[in-house]
Amino acid sequence: MTTMSTESPLDTDHSAIESVARRRPAWIGLGVGIVALVAGLAVPSIITDFYTMQLVLEAAMLAMLALSIGFLAKHLGLISLGHTAFYGGAGYLAAIAATHWGWGPTAAALAGIGAGVLLALVMGVLVVRATGMGFLMLTLALGQALYQLCVQTSLRPITGAYDGLQFTFHPDGTFFGMSGRDVMDSAAFWKYVWGALVISVIVLWWVGRSRFGTILEGVRENEERMRFSGYDTFVPRLAAFVLSGLIASIAGVLFTVHGSYVSPSMLSFVKAGDALIAAIIGGLGILLGPVLGAALYVWAQSQFNDGGNLHLYTGIALIVVLVFLPGGILGGAKDLIDRFVRSRRKEKQ
Amino acid sequence: MNVAQILNGVALGSLLMVLSSGLAMIYGLRGVTNFAHGALYMAGGYLAYAVTGRLSFWAAIVLVPLALAVIGAFLELVFFRRLQDRSHIEVGLITFGIAMILERVIVLIWGERTLSVAAPPALDGVSSVFGVDYPTYRLFIIGIAIVMAVGLVWWLRRSEIGLHIRASSQDIETASIMGINVDRVSLVVVCLGSALAGLAGTLAAPYVSLDPGMGMTILITVLIVVVIGGAGSIAGAMIAGMGLGIIQTIGMNWSAAVSVLIPYAALVLVLLLRPRGIAGRKVA
Repeated sequence: MTTMSTESPLDTDHSAIESVARRRPAWIGLGVGIVALVAGLAVPSIITDFYTMQLVLEAAMLAMLALSIGFLAKHLGLISLGHTAFYGGAGYLAAIAATHWGWGPTAAALAGIGAGVLLALVMGVLVVRATGMGFLMLTLALGQALYQLCVQTSLRPITGAYDGLQFTFHPDGTFFGMSGRDVMDSAAFWKYVWGALVISVIVLWWVGRSRFGTILEGVRENEERMRFSGYDTFVPRLAAFVLSGLIASIAGVLFTVHGSYVSPSMLSFVKAGDALIAAIIGGLGILLGPVLGAALYVWAQSQFNDGGNLHLYTGIALIVVLVFLPGGILGGAKDLIDRFVRSRRKEKQ
Repeated sequence: MNVAQILNGVALGSLLMVLSSGLAMIYGLRGVTNFAHGALYMAGGYLAYAVTGRLSFWAAIVLVPLALAVIGAFLELVFFRRLQDRSHIEVGLITFGIAMILERVIVLIWGERTLSVAAPPALDGVSSVFGVDYPTYRLFIIGIAIVMAVGLVWWLRRSEIGLHIRASSQDIETASIMGINVDRVSLVVVCLGSALAGLAGTLAAPYVSLDPGMGMTILITVLIVVVIGGAGSIAGAMIAGMGLGIIQTIGMNWSAAVSVLIPYAALVLVLLLRPRGIAGRKVA
């Protein structure tokens, strides 16, 4: 980490330690979060167009996945290409529980999230000691292993192999009080997705500014020195990884319930790459960067995917951002504002 | 398990060997995990299709690596050299973007459908090896890979530029202080690595069919091979590539579900138990 240039998107917030010292009281952030939560609930009454509503919902679900990846990058400097394991793994288990075991939707969803967290715990024990490229490779390999396992012909009775698997909505059951028809309706389902997204952001923000978040940043900056200072560095890293996996799992289960279907693409390398690219373009150094990136990604997907050229443009966007704007869009904006504030301060003096 | 199966494993291992030695060279020198390597391989395959259609397969096996070397020079001059002070992960992610662009460009030129290239007539039949009839073309792949491997290791150990490459891979800063022109060494290595990806693509074209997903599919395996072999170690990558090719092909006959997981399991074991790979930091 120490050899990285100061502009690196992975070397995220240089003023982090300092900002902890002079942070604003928690209730301001919490208040902003609650206002955003309530205000966002009005979205379906503003967007009446079915197609646009579907896009906004998709963006919110991708945002959760990107957020979980961005959290690890921001606080631990770890880049994961394996978060689809939790996203897809949770979705798959929910679908298996609902379809093969005949569980009710809520129970199946909770089982899916539980499975995702358990997977994150097991995978975390294996990977969090690695850093940099090792971590990236390990998460990529474990995520791909799950993908390969799911598409095996011999597992077709369980996972449906390449065909994917239906999430059977139990006729008498509800998903946290919502009927099978409503969960498939983007406007009605929005409040769950939006609620999950905003709460995830608030929780991650709160964790990031807590003592625990400071320890994580210490580990990111110099793991060895943290150990010498008497801190256990393994458990905090594992906890952050599992928290991140939990959010990815929730996103995957919401996606599965809404689409009432899981497919191997949820576990694919391409999906992992898309979410990571969205996070990088939005900005890894700022909590909301990945959310912005996901929104842009889904918007671009709807605008430019004629003839399947989306990856051409996202590839170009990724290179342009990494070369010229290493902090992502929000990181670049923050730098501009900081520079502006500093020059104002100088003028005053 | 019979001779033909083992030979199939060796043929797959040969392709992995050619591909992963190029990736390992670039990694060893620039520290960059080149996620575009699969796309370069794919470009090699499609270019081989184009050249074989117009001239012949023999022209392709010469021209395609040259064309890929030019692309490699572009990558080195535009990205790797300018961004050498950035973190390696960032440059790696940039190559990820390059891969996405290159794969899409290939699809725009040649379309989404699966293409096949005919093996040259001289190699189209079967030969008898250890008492079994085996496709001559696959033997040809194995032969080329062995020649490439021996030639590459010999070149790295005996030639002056080989010495410079090994020195720069050990410690690029010290090497440049000692008067080695690191930029030139790096240009040679990235060009050669890309050319090897092109060679692998050309060799693969008559063996596997060409499809838009071929780059990404093989990339993951090759990345695993390089990490298992010992990041940056060319000899390690060759051994790991050949080993994985054989084990996976033989395992496929035994249990497909277990066989596909072998590379991932091997990677996790190696990274956890021996993070520097089976060959450590020895370059060649």
